[in-house]
Parts: sequence; C-alpha cells; structure tokens
Amino acid sequence: MKWWLTKAGDPTGKVAGNTSMEDVVQQSVLFSSVERLLGWGRKNSMWPFHFGLSCCFVEMATAMTPKYDLARFGAEVIRGTPREADVMIIAGTVFIKMAPVIQRLHEQMMEPRWVISMGSCANSGGMYDIYSVVQGVDKFLPVDVYVPGCPPRPDAFMQGLLLLQDSVGKEQRPLSWVIGDHGVIRPEMPSQRERLHDHRQQMTQFKTPDEI
Amino acid sequence: MPITVTEEISARFGEDAVITLLTRDETPTIRTPREKVVAILQYLKSDINMPFRMLYDLTAIDERAYKKEQNGHKPYDFTLVYTLFSFERNEFLRLKTGLHGEFPTHDTITHIWPAANWYEREVYDMFGIRFNGHPHLQRILMPRTWEGYPLRKEHPARATEMGPFKLFDDKVDREQHAMQFRPEEWGLKRHSEDADFMFLNIGPQHPGTHGVLRIILQLDGENIIDAVPDIGFHHRGAEKMAERQSWHTYIPYTDRIDYLGGVNNNLAYLLAVEKLGGIDVPLRAQVIRIMLCELFRIASHLVWYGTFAQDLGQLSPVFYMFTDRERVFEIIEAICGGRMHPNWFRIGGVAQDLPKGWDTLVKNFIDYFPRKLREYDKMVMKNYLFKVRTKGIGIYTLEEAIEWGVTGPGLRACGLEWDMRKKRPYGGYENFAFEIPVAHNGDCYDRAVVRVEEMRQSLRIVQQCLEYMPAGDFKSHHPLATPPVKQHTMHDIETLIHHFLNVSWGPVIPPGEAMVCTEATKGWNSYYLISDGNTASYRTHIRTPSFPHMQMIPLISKGYTVADLLSILGGMDYVLADIDR
Repeated sequence: MKWWLTKAGDPTGKVAGNTSMEDVVQQSVLFSSVERLLGWGRKNSMWPFHFGLSCCFVEMATAMTPKYDLARFGAEVIRGTPREADVMIIAGTVFIKMAPVIQRLHEQMMEPRWVISMGSCANSGGMYDIYSVVQGVDKFLPVDVYVPGCPPRPDAFMQGLLLLQDSVGKEQRPLSWVIGDHGVIRPEMPSQRERLHDHRQQMTQFKTPDEI
Repeated sequence: MPITVTEEISARFGEDAVITLLTRDETPTIRTPREKVVAILQYLKSDINMPFRMLYDLTAIDERAYKKEQNGHKPYDFTLVYTLFSFERNEFLRLKTGLHGEFPTHDTITHIWPAANWYEREVYDMFGIRFNGHPHLQRILMPRTWEGYPLRKEHPARATEMGPFKLFDDKVDREQHAMQFRPEEWGLKRHSEDADFMFLNIGPQHPGTHGVLRIILQLDGENIIDAVPDIGFHHRGAEKMAERQSWHTYIPYTDRIDYLGGVNNNLAYLLAVEKLGGIDVPLRAQVIRIMLCELFRIASHLVWYGTFAQDLGQLSPVFYMFTDRERVFEIIEAICGGRMHPNWFRIGGVAQDLPKGWDTLVKNFIDYFPRKLREYDKMVMKNYLFKVRTKGIGIYTLEEAIEWGVTGPGLRACGLEWDMRKKRPYGGYENFAFEIPVAHNGDCYDRAVVRVEEMRQSLRIVQQCLEYMPAGDFKSHHPLATPPVKQHTMHDIETLIHHFLNVSWGPVIPPGEAMVCTEATKGWNSYYLISDGNTASYRTHIRTPSFPHMQMIPLISKGYTVADLLSILGGMDYVLADIDR
C-alpha cells in the first residue's frame, strides 16, 4: 500500500510516499453511466415503510436493533408515510379485512417501489388456511422477494433485503418520469433453493439438539 | 357449613334455576333457564355476599353438531357461557344458558357490566346471536361486509374452501366505504355549543398503534372527547382453527396468540388439555416450563419497555432492550431451537429434555441482567420527561379495573395484590418464592413500575429453576401424552401403538370441558376447551387479556390529549393478536 503524510497547515509538504498520477486518478475519478449510478444509489438507500401486520414485524424491527444493525445496508430509515418509502415489507398475516388497506398503501408508494413478502403467512397464507386470511399477498400485490419462515429470523429478513438490493442495483429504469410503460428491465432472480441445493447437499454433519 | 354459590342462587331463584353441571376443571358450572339468567347475573354482581364483580368472559357454543348428550340432557342449539370471577371468594363461576332456534336472540347484560359490550358484539359477529337492548350491536372482528357467522358449524373454515381471493377495484371501494366512520352511528355529536369537533382516524396503519389497530378520536382541539377503537384487522380465526387441528397440532397456533408471550400461551392451553385428559406432568417438566415462561415474560416485558419509551420520544432505550431480548433468545434458542414461536410444550410435558450446557447460559443471563435493569431505571424510569408524560395519565381506579375486566400488571398498578401464579397457583408455581409487585396510582407510570419489578421477580423464579432443577422425566408416561417418549417405542408395543396413533390421528381427549386461568405476560389468559371425545376440540374459546383492556380505551383516554393517547396505549402493553385472536 502506498501512503503519505501531510504536515498540518502545509498541504505540499509530503513526508513519505511514492504515489503516481494513476493512483490519484483511480482514487478520485469514477466512470459510470447515470443509470448505473442511480441504481447504485437506490440499492444502498432503500427506505422501508413502517408497516407491520403481525409477529413478523417484531422480527423485522429486531433487524434494525444493534445486534443485526440493518443500518449497515442503508435500510434503517423507516418512513412513517408510504409516499417516502421505497420498499414495503409485508411482515405478517394478510387479513381479508386488511387487504383493501394494504392495497391502498401500496398504491400510495411512489415508483420505483418494491415489495418484500416476509414470512409464511404473507408468502402463502402459511399455517393459516382460515376464513379471515388471504392466502398470500401476491393474490393482489406484485412481490419481488419472498422470505420464508414463521417468523423468519432477522438474518433471513436481511438476506431477503440484500437479494432485493442486488436486483435493484442491476435494474434498468428510465431516468425521468415516463407516461405509460416504464420499460423496466429487471435481472433474473433465481430461486435460492436451486442455487444453494448442491451446497446444502454437501452438509452432512449436524449438531444434535442435546447440546447448545 | 359454608353455603356454595349454587345453593345461594337456588335459595333465591328457586330450585329450577340451577342445574349443576360436571366439568373437568374445578370451576363451579351451572345451567340456568334463559329467562332468569340476567337477574341471576345482576344478583351475583351486586347483591350476593362476596360478589362476583368481574365479568371474566362471555362466549357462546354452537351445540347443533354435538353428538353425545351433555351432562344428561339434550343439547340446545346454542349455549351462552358467562364466566364470572370473585376476588373475595377467589373463585370462578360459569353460568350457561341454552338457546333454541337458528338465529336466537337473548337479552343484553351491558347494563350490568359495560364490559359485556364487546363480548356480546363478538358473539353476534361469530354466531349470529342477537342481543336485545345492546347499545351498538355491530360486527366487531369481521369486516362489516362479511356474510355469515364464522364460528357457526356450517360456516367454512378454510380460505381455500371459499373460492380464490380477488381484490377488484370496486371491491376495494366497497370495503373502504364500509370502513368509513360515521359519528352519528356511534351517537357522537359533530359540534358542541362552542366548538366543532374533529374526527381523527388513527390506524389501522399507524406507527403508534403497535399493530393493525384503528382508533377514531373525537377531538376538541387537542383534547380527546371520545374514542372509538375499531378492532378485527388481526383476526386469524384461531378458535375455528382449533376445531380442525388435533389437540396436539393446535399447540403452534397458541404460540401466535400473544406472539410476544411465546410459551406462556402453550401453557395456558396445555393446562386445560391436561385437565381434560387427567394427565399429571412430571416435576422436571413443570420446572422447565416455568423457567421458559418466565424467560418469555422477561422478553415480552423488554419489548414493551423499549417500545413504550420510544412512544414517548426516547429513541435509544429500544436498542438496549432489544439487545437484551436477544440475550434471552439465545437461551430460548439453545433450548427450543426457535425464537418467537418455539412451540415447545407438549401434552404431558415438553418436547425435549434440556440440552447440555443450558445452565451456563441461564446463569450468565442471571448475572448480567440485574445490572442492566438498574441502568434502565436511570435511563427510563427516572427520566424527567418520561415521568411527566406518564404520571397521572390514563388513570383508572381499582373498581373501574374490576368492572372492565382489567387483569395483570394493569390491575396490580391499582393497588390490588393479585397474581394468578400466587393466588391460584397452576403448573407448579406454588413451589417458587417471589413477590407480587404492586403500585397504587393506576396511571401509566405505575403500570410501568409494576412491569419493571416483575422482570426482577421473573429473574428470581428463573434463578430458583436453575438452582433446583429436579431430575426425572421431561414428559409424562400417561397414554395421552403426545408424542410419547420416542426411545421407548422400540422396546414395548404399547408405546409404539400410542406413538403411532397419537402422531397420525392425534390423541383422543375424553369428553368434558376445562379452563385454567394463567397469569400471562399481559394479564389473565385461558383456553376454555370443550371436548366431545374426539381428536379435535369441539369448541375452543380463548380468553385474552388485551381484549377487555382495549375496550377500556374510551374510558381512560377521555379528557387527555392525543399525545397522551400514545402513553396510554404504550402503557397498556397489548398485542393485536391477543385482542383479535
């Protein structure tokens, strides 16, 4: 590593170091397309909507506390209004009584907007195949990422968010407002189950429940 | 010779007013003719010596599908069940009255107990039983546009039986229109003599409501004139679910009732099941259960502590408390493998024995936590702003608390030293030494004082569990204990058969009814189970503490400001799933 020291008050007086012009340019100039720059910005500042339905919301909130610290990924800025939020996390059971409300809240979010379905209830109704529960939020909302679990651990939620961030960073969108079709090009999001299948198959040693 | 309450009633209302019923729990249960029940309830509340001042619960049973003759007589079409509690007698009393007809009506008791209001609305919503003279008989849990009454036996249980869910634009409009608040419907005026009132809708999506709760406020400037809570956005049909899940496979659903209380829910349910089945739980299993219940009580109170402080504008405490909650979860996870919903208790015991090394984890936590509690006292409880925003806010008196069915820390904050773990010990709590913290002003601050002290007491109980953890079985050898201990199955055919049947069909619990009232994290919680001798319950009613607490909101928020409402809600410590089930 190349390094140098500058004396206070004397910006020209280098003490040591042997950096080249090339290094300086590398450190201070970035070439990118505006599209990619915006994608990078969106990816690293996804503001979630302060919206929770049931148990999963507690785990989602836990992800923002120090042990998990969602702030590392720029997504801890919870917004109280849908108009300022980028991502809506359907954390919990989607009740039939609540569905029209969720629909309206989603409509109030500005484009670009994303939806994470957190937990089995939001994914598919989960263990609640019962008269008052919608069998999955994707019955009426477009979902970008499904996080399984009942409730998913904060880590699982964060993994879902990171997957979404990856995809958002690679998304191609119009740079300004457009009327009609936005022509968004989204990267493929392969199933994690298939992606991790081989790796998981190689795991043979498991801890028994008799020990911590 | 002491006269029983049954004898007192029959002395006053005649022999035919009382049919004593046999139940599996020790709760005195009587059936009365429907003409007399309102008068008897009035008598029990105000005239009898040592009155039953609390309406603990009110529910109904659809008995049309009940096959066996119940207690020697043919079942009615519907039965209303009133459960009362007397602090003087330390006794529950269950009154039943039978109704005939497809859509029967009955007289309201809202003039006796204002708290009956929501209970009767729930019975109407779920069974279609109408109450004459009820001030506002509207659906409470289901949307107003709903057709049918979910807990009637002919109503489909599964969403997948009811056709695919479609949310068309006109349906959204229709539902939104039905949710519109019309003050006249609730008898609320739009103007006073000198002011126009504003109606402020809070929720069902609002950061301050701790979940999907809706409250409509009638405001004169900042001051709350009246409040109308609107619940049911979190109704997960847990009671209907019990009618199709086996006794064993219903346990995970109980986890999700008070979803911060974890295994406390398991316990309330299983105590009733074990009472029905006549199962004794081994000592070790009892102590394991209690230890986990108390750890969960601490975890639940920590969530309350942090979020309450946050509601009042303190941003940082929640980060500390959630970090400590993670430490509790480290223990829970090591023992149960799960976090919020461990689903770890079983009929007749617990799922598994404690893992090696559990004691070190628990010990570390016991060493660590008191110091943190002292730190939080300084950070939150002694904070000037916190005190100003909670002292003298949301006051109710002890009489009001009993009248409205307030239980748990909210009751103890009014000066009554009443903890079910102590007064009616269940599941082995009689073996533990702990204090019942009380406070005397009945305001938000005192409720906080009680909860904070409760964490210390819970820690004491956990410490005793650690020191005196008995050796022995973690599950009963009773044939109904589910699933039977696995390692025995390969040695004797009897256990193998039980294992096979209990796992494939589920255990058959003998007919009868039982309820055990437990001191859950938020108040008294119980499962009223009725078995008709099948693999699933005939009717399960879950009495949750948050439901009556929430009903009290209009009473305790009148005259305060909107900002105070958040103190009141935060100080109440409710969970939406605990209200709507």
